[in-house]
Amino acid sequence: MLFFSFFKTLIDHEVTVELKNDIRIRGVLKSVDQFLNIKLDNIQVEEELKYPHLSAVKNVFIRGSVVRYVHLPASAVDIPLLEDATRREAANQAGKAK
Amino acid sequence: MSFFGFDASRHNPAAAGFSQAHNPFAGLASHDDEGDALEFEDTYDGLGDQLDESGDAFNDDTFGDTADLTAGPSGNDFDFFGQTAKVSNAIEEEHVRFNRQAPPAKASQPAPQPSTQAFGQPSASTTPSYGHGSQPSSSKTVRTGYEKYSSEPVGELQVDPALWGVAPKKPSQATPAAAPPPATSSAPPSRKVLSLEEVEAQIRAQAKKAAQSAPSPAPQPAPPPSAPQSQAAPHAQYHIAYQYPHHVQPQLPAQADMSRAQEPSFPPGNGHPVTILQRPQTKPASAPGPPVQQAVQTRQQPSAPVHPTQILQNPNRLSGDAARIGVPQHPTPPIPMPGTYPSHAHHRHQSSFSRQPHIITHPSQLSQLTEEEKAAYLEQEAKRAKRNHKIFLMSRDNGIMTPQDKSFVTRIQLQQLVAATGNPNERGTDESLAEDFYYQVHSQIQGGQRQNPNQPLNNFAQTYLFQTGSRQGGLRRHHRGPENHMQRMEQQVQRAVEAAKNKPKNKQLVIEGSLGKISFSNAKTPKPLLNIKRTESTGEAHRPGSAHKQVSSGVDRKGELRSIERIYTTLMKMEDHDRMMPPPPATDADTDAVQKLAAWGSEAQTLNRKLWDSLRIHDHPDNGGVHPFIALLSYSKGKKAMQRIFRHLTQEQRTTILTLIVVNLDNLDVVRNAQVTSGQIQLNAAMRENVELFSVAVMSTLFNILNELDLDLVAGVLGLVCSRNVDVIAKSRVGASMLTMILSRAEIIKHGGGGSEQAWRSWDLTYTQFFDLIEPTLPHIFPGPVTASDDIYVWQLLAALGIGAGPDQQQRLVIAVKDRVMDTVALSKSLPQDLAAQRLQNVNLFMRSIGLDVELLQ
Repeated sequence: MLFFSFFKTLIDHEVTVELKNDIRIRGVLKSVDQFLNIKLDNIQVEEELKYPHLSAVKNVFIRGSVVRYVHLPASAVDIPLLEDATRREAANQAGKAK
Repeated sequence: MSFFGFDASRHNPAAAGFSQAHNPFAGLASHDDEGDALEFEDTYDGLGDQLDESGDAFNDDTFGDTADLTAGPSGNDFDFFGQTAKVSNAIEEEHVRFNRQAPPAKASQPAPQPSTQAFGQPSASTTPSYGHGSQPSSSKTVRTGYEKYSSEPVGELQVDPALWGVAPKKPSQATPAAAPPPATSSAPPSRKVLSLEEVEAQIRAQAKKAAQSAPSPAPQPAPPPSAPQSQAAPHAQYHIAYQYPHHVQPQLPAQADMSRAQEPSFPPGNGHPVTILQRPQTKPASAPGPPVQQAVQTRQQPSAPVHPTQILQNPNRLSGDAARIGVPQHPTPPIPMPGTYPSHAHHRHQSSFSRQPHIITHPSQLSQLTEEEKAAYLEQEAKRAKRNHKIFLMSRDNGIMTPQDKSFVTRIQLQQLVAATGNPNERGTDESLAEDFYYQVHSQIQGGQRQNPNQPLNNFAQTYLFQTGSRQGGLRRHHRGPENHMQRMEQQVQRAVEAAKNKPKNKQLVIEGSLGKISFSNAKTPKPLLNIKRTESTGEAHRPGSAHKQVSSGVDRKGELRSIERIYTTLMKMEDHDRMMPPPPATDADTDAVQKLAAWGSEAQTLNRKLWDSLRIHDHPDNGGVHPFIALLSYSKGKKAMQRIFRHLTQEQRTTILTLIVVNLDNLDVVRNAQVTSGQIQLNAAMRENVELFSVAVMSTLFNILNELDLDLVAGVLGLVCSRNVDVIAKSRVGASMLTMILSRAEIIKHGGGGSEQAWRSWDLTYTQFFDLIEPTLPHIFPGPVTASDDIYVWQLLAALGIGAGPDQQQRLVIAVKDRVMDTVALSKSLPQDLAAQRLQNVNLFMRSIGLDVELLQ
């Protein structure tokens, strides 16, 4: 749930989603779910010349499993908090594994 | 000629080879050679003798009228000539039809026609039927379907009789003089040869009719059972046929049509070759006088064919018939029934329901069916009454739940829903924080307003459920009477929710003998892709990689990292614990609250001790290594932890840490490995980052501690510094800053008028000692050449030194750094305005501390 929790805080921030087929889509994160499916609004495809079929698309729903990276706005990330959240998550997982 | 030495001559050419098909006559050939004749008896298997010829008597019963039913299909199948002729003579036949000329096979047609007319005329009621029947014969061109059937049968007709022993006589009669016989002997003249499709249709129709006929008895006083009819029991059919005409004609005018429609169908059913050729004739024949015989013959064949035939023949009729099949047909079945089975009243009841709808569609029949109708109405009435009674019974419970109760139940459901979807407010914040920590805290921080994590965050719960819930909780206890059961309900709900939450404890299922595990997952806890079982909580013991288990060894990076993690874990626990701090008891009398607070305090102490232990302040470096705590500070996350750690420590503990750091100042990596040089060499990026981080995370914390220290302690700290390698310390940015902090703290205390006389004396002593130690280093503490800009901290140190220094010391100070001052001033002239001003300002920091100004130098 850490990533879900994390991405929820990025809602309404602009992120760049890089898909496993190398397409990079920049847009405003509108929603994310526990599968890390992503909804983007006002999207802009990088290297638009390469993917002309996406130039008319304004918003997308991306299945979480096809995402390779999400480039984050660094300013929107609370690093110490994220570190702690990670620790908690790890502790949770360890607790569950036992 | 043999390939492998086989004796070709011995090879029997007659024997079958592997790939050859078996030659059944191979043996004969050899026999021929021997001159033996093939005996029939030798080859006959004798199966023919086993045939029981006597069993043919009931073939008709078993298979229906063989001549009739089988004639069609068999004739079609084997009449190759007929088929061929049809194709080749298609055009010719068309001509013939147009000319109304009877095809060769229909030679008999002329004869039947008169007969039909003769029959038809006598009975007035049957006239319609007569006309109907005659139409096909006279004007065949109009009805193509008819013609086709009539023409086809011709060929078949001749074949059929020959095939079946029974038939022969018929053909003879039929062919020569079809017309006369129908009237007298074999009344059922119209015999139609059926195609396979027809037969099928007949069978289906028969079934249908049987179903329909069963109920039909209603109108008639004594309805016969449907079964006999459909099964074509000879007798029943006989009667039916017999009476049929009578009833039809006199009884029902409406039925007249029907009867007519059906009449044509009946005739085809009759298995008489003569009539086969001409369907039209049959109708008239059946309708009129000789009903008995005709009926008999017609009935010989199951009644089934009747309807289908009609259908096939008259598509138009079909629809009409279909419509009637339900209702109108009642009359027909009834007709035969009275005579045969007068006492089958029970069928009526069965049929009554199904017919009801039909009655409506056919108002004309209403009068006849009123009785049924009545019954049906009664039935319906009873039904309705029953239903009303039911409703009445149920209505007794109306209003047993008040709207409040309903909303309460709704709330319970909602509660469960929220519990299932995870509501942070439901069961304390811990679980929700565990699941969604980052988001929760982040939104708190971002939101700003919610300082208290215990405050509800979930909008859904807040807006919907928990508003009501809390209101309930608040008001109910005091105001409501029937709260008892409500409370119990609530507790139950609580328990249920609890149970539901605990249910999916077993996150996976390991089936015996299987290679993998089956993990259960849900929205809240997606299936983990990797499932690594930890054998131990610390997770450090049985790792093959961790050769150095000795956490205490300063060299063990992993061990150090692990201890840092332990620190963090403890910190988080402490922070959680802080959040759960109970409110201070209003009065001492509130023992419960006092106890809670005490319990909380002791728990906090336990955690504090744990944290302190994990910091390992009191551990001793082994083998002259770095102190474990100082080692922790060499990691960035160790540095970052300092601020948080200090929040949870007592003043004493903080001071201890400060002392420890100062004592080990020259051992800090950011001091030891970040020595400044006069050359251009810059520290590498990682170290610069480290220094920066240390300044931000640790120095600021230490600064805070230092600012609370008294003069004697500050002097003590400075004394500690003196015991270390001051040169190394001073030549690092961190060390220099630390020195500045200590010195400036003393100055501030002096300005504040604090500190005892004795403390000042000890301070002065220490300062002098320190100055002596640092003086030789002063020229070298500047980072890089004069062009390097980030030397402000040095000037700060110099300023701090200068303030506390006596005139003598100030002079020494100036001499030590004079070169740098002059260079900087000179440099500043070549620099842009603002940069120059900055540099000069830095220098001035020092100059003013000793009562000088840069202006004097320019």
